[in-house]
Amino acid sequence: MWKLFTIPVLCLGTVVHAQHISRQPDSTHILDEVNVNAVVNKQIETEMKMAVSVDEFLASSDNISFIKRGAYAWEPLLNNMSTERSTVTIDGMHIFGACTDKMDPVTSYVESNNLSTIDIKSGQEGSLHGATVAGSMDLKRRTTPFGLRKKWNGAYQTGFEFNNQQFFNLGNVSYSGNKFVADGSISFRKAGNYTDGHHDEVRHSQYNKFNTSLALAYKTSPLSSVRVDALFDQAKDVGFPALPMDLWLSRAIITSAAYKQLFEEGLVRAWDTKVYFNAIEHYMDDTQRPENLVHMDMPGWSTTYGLVSKANLKKDNYGAEIQLNAYNNLSIAEMRMYPQDRSKRTMFAYSWPWVTTRFAGLSMNNFWDISERSQINLGGSLGLNYNRSKYVEFNWIFHPGTPSEKTRVLPSLHAGYQLDIQSFHFSGGLGYGHRAPSVSEGYGYYIYNSFDRYDYIGNPDLKNEISYEANASAGFKNDRMGITAKVNYFYIQNYIIGRILSLGSPMNYQSVGVKGYTSLDHAQVFNISLNAHYHIFKQLHGEGMLTYARATDDQGGNLPFIRPLSYQASLHFMHKQFGFQTSLNGDFTQINYSPAYGEDQTPAYTVWNVSADYTFNFKKVKTVVQVGAENLLNAYYSTYADWGNIPRMGRNIFTSLKINF
Amino acid sequence: MEKVIFFLVVMCFAVLSCTKDKTDYEAEIDTVVTEHYEFKEAIVVHTRAFDIHIEALNGTFYKGYNEIRLKVTDAQTRENIQVTAATFLPILAKADGSKNSCPHRYDLVYREEGNYFSGYAVFTDESSQGNWQIYLSFTIDGEQYSATHGITVEKQPNKNLNMTAFTGKDDEQYFIALISPQKPKIAENDLVAGIYRYHKPTQPAGTFPDPAQFSYSEVSGYTLQLDPRMPEPSMGNHSSINNKDLIQEDDGLYHGVVNYTMTGNWTLNFILLNQKGKIVKGTEVPTDFTPGVEGAKSELYIDILF
Repeated sequence: MWKLFTIPVLCLGTVVHAQHISRQPDSTHILDEVNVNAVVNKQIETEMKMAVSVDEFLASSDNISFIKRGAYAWEPLLNNMSTERSTVTIDGMHIFGACTDKMDPVTSYVESNNLSTIDIKSGQEGSLHGATVAGSMDLKRRTTPFGLRKKWNGAYQTGFEFNNQQFFNLGNVSYSGNKFVADGSISFRKAGNYTDGHHDEVRHSQYNKFNTSLALAYKTSPLSSVRVDALFDQAKDVGFPALPMDLWLSRAIITSAAYKQLFEEGLVRAWDTKVYFNAIEHYMDDTQRPENLVHMDMPGWSTTYGLVSKANLKKDNYGAEIQLNAYNNLSIAEMRMYPQDRSKRTMFAYSWPWVTTRFAGLSMNNFWDISERSQINLGGSLGLNYNRSKYVEFNWIFHPGTPSEKTRVLPSLHAGYQLDIQSFHFSGGLGYGHRAPSVSEGYGYYIYNSFDRYDYIGNPDLKNEISYEANASAGFKNDRMGITAKVNYFYIQNYIIGRILSLGSPMNYQSVGVKGYTSLDHAQVFNISLNAHYHIFKQLHGEGMLTYARATDDQGGNLPFIRPLSYQASLHFMHKQFGFQTSLNGDFTQINYSPAYGEDQTPAYTVWNVSADYTFNFKKVKTVVQVGAENLLNAYYSTYADWGNIPRMGRNIFTSLKINF
Repeated sequence: MEKVIFFLVVMCFAVLSCTKDKTDYEAEIDTVVTEHYEFKEAIVVHTRAFDIHIEALNGTFYKGYNEIRLKVTDAQTRENIQVTAATFLPILAKADGSKNSCPHRYDLVYREEGNYFSGYAVFTDESSQGNWQIYLSFTIDGEQYSATHGITVEKQPNKNLNMTAFTGKDDEQYFIALISPQKPKIAENDLVAGIYRYHKPTQPAGTFPDPAQFSYSEVSGYTLQLDPRMPEPSMGNHSSINNKDLIQEDDGLYHGVVNYTMTGNWTLNFILLNQKGKIVKGTEVPTDFTPGVEGAKSELYIDILF
């Protein structure tokens, strides 16, 4: 019976695939088993290392770079733009970190064993999930399909990394019935301080993370299903060596309930609606830093609920995705400073004075296959963004009389063209979009930035940031090799950045002054990447990647945190059950650094990694063991985006074991 | 299924277990500040057939600025009596025999809307320093009555209503008393202060209490320059922006704006300028950010706390 329904779904699947949308087959789809198995076994891993953190996995992508403040919770930069400019979602759900210093990007609240893939879209193509400038990162959780032949599936992964004594255990299990599906995962990671290339311990770089998730799905009819999800993440005692504070505790509970309906015929082929709720709490802690002059509490809370509803349309050579996004977020952050005489009155203020953000937007992506070889896509979104500051009197100190509420209209448009000529592939696109200032940019109050050592003040009256974007790519691919070049260029009007205010004095004792978020007239960001892979012979293949970026403000000065020319190259050799990998990655000297924004020049570095693995079956259980070394030559380095130039990890021997049953 | 239940149980515990509470912002400010906005009867003076009621905020006289309201009623019928004029003179008698007054309004002003006489007194000392007496007089149907009564002046628990007394460079005695805000916020606050001067008597004293010996007035046309800073050493002489110097308005009081960027101790550093812009008292304070070092105060300042 169910085979009947696979046909439309498969059609949809193929069509979608042909359109180059990276879409994970969903649990409620009834898919053919080959496909399904691929999904079940798929896990986030890089070619170098099979047990990676989410951050390490993202780092292997060519348009992601990171600001690092330690060993944990790296802030992902998409197209060399900070997280305010991209939308980061989990299965389309909006989540906002609760730390004013961006110590908890959304990616820090998931674990590699509850994700199947990360869908990265550059620029306005990412506007499906809401208004963006840089693009979108959608973290896709694993979903087990209904009716697998093998009802119980699971994986267990453990490992030890010698440099920071990281010990991790990751387990996940799924049950696939005809009517009922359950997915569960649990993971523990515990790491001590790491040592740098000079064998010096980097103090306050430890972390502990616990993550668990559970999803239950029930098939309500042959073409519909309901699904409830919950994810809980807790990080404790996390050190940030580049900061004057650590994390005592952060917790996230991320929940959703979804209903999905498939249609066998008609224009609408699938309709998926989800309501969600997530709450994050984040407590910074400086009690491990006796050198601090001031003891300070910095708790933060972020609560979001929302709705995401998506329809997939298909008719002949036309396909479309329509998505409705609506959410409400309340962000609260406090600071309480303790006087040296603790019997005296504490000093209190909000760094986020109860800021509500409401967003509702409708997005659409359309695809037409205009010929066998070419395709046009056209999309856009229209969003309404509302902000309210409950204690607007905080904002009045720097912006007297500013209204407590602000509503913005956020339009976006993008168009693209793709052409395949034999082994060659070309694409080009244009985009236009607005984004609203983030909570910190709009309403932040004395948020200390330990990179440039300024206290930052938000400006509720900032204009929308407006991005004009062009992108192009060209590639060649055959059975043995492939090469792709991608460029994108962003001209961003009203680019929001902190500028020194001549007035006001800092509040945090480490700071040197006060910066206010202001709009530059414009800024320009340019990214280029080159990817190539080559099968030297059947067992040996190599890959290489080269990226370069350049970004300037309206005066022609450099913007901060722009990746210098950087490269990754790797070789993979497979022989029977053995695999060997080696890779080289590094950055060239940072030429275009930005002293005006607190940067100094970062020298070039190269890191060499090797690993070997062995796969065998132990009582019908597929087992892989891996051993390897990162930074084999124990290079002492820090990257352009390492906060406070903290050195990165020195030589790290890692071992891991993975079993699939 | 058991695993599922186990997961759910673990999750429930994890979510419900304790976390830090959010700060209740209103309650946070209330912890050290009590705001009084209700006038209550402070004393009743019986004189012949009349009762003189004096009201103050919270029914208590505090050191610093006190707005007072005076009403006269018939002692028998308790009906309001039409009074045509009223005077008010507080005198502090100290153990050493000295008798002083404090800034006050001698001729009370009739306020029709509330049917009372309005005045104020800036008590410079608490009752622990000496005995305060108030000397009252009022006129009914052309006949003058007078009365006197002891009062208790209590310590002002709200530092936002602090006062200071000093001798200016012109050798005159000045008083600055904070009047508003009683309960500041982390915000722009309208700052109201009264600035008074003692007039040295020019003639020998008449019969006690001779009001000419105890004459004070609101200074007019002065400017009170303001530089608020946090004195806590770890705050490194932190200040705020968009503050406005206090200038006199029609009510005779001095109005300005102070921005408090966070709760805690603040010092209002002042420089008092006379009508000609000459410094009467006060010094400029360093504006440097000096973490770990307490900022220097002006020689004219008032500390507040909220």
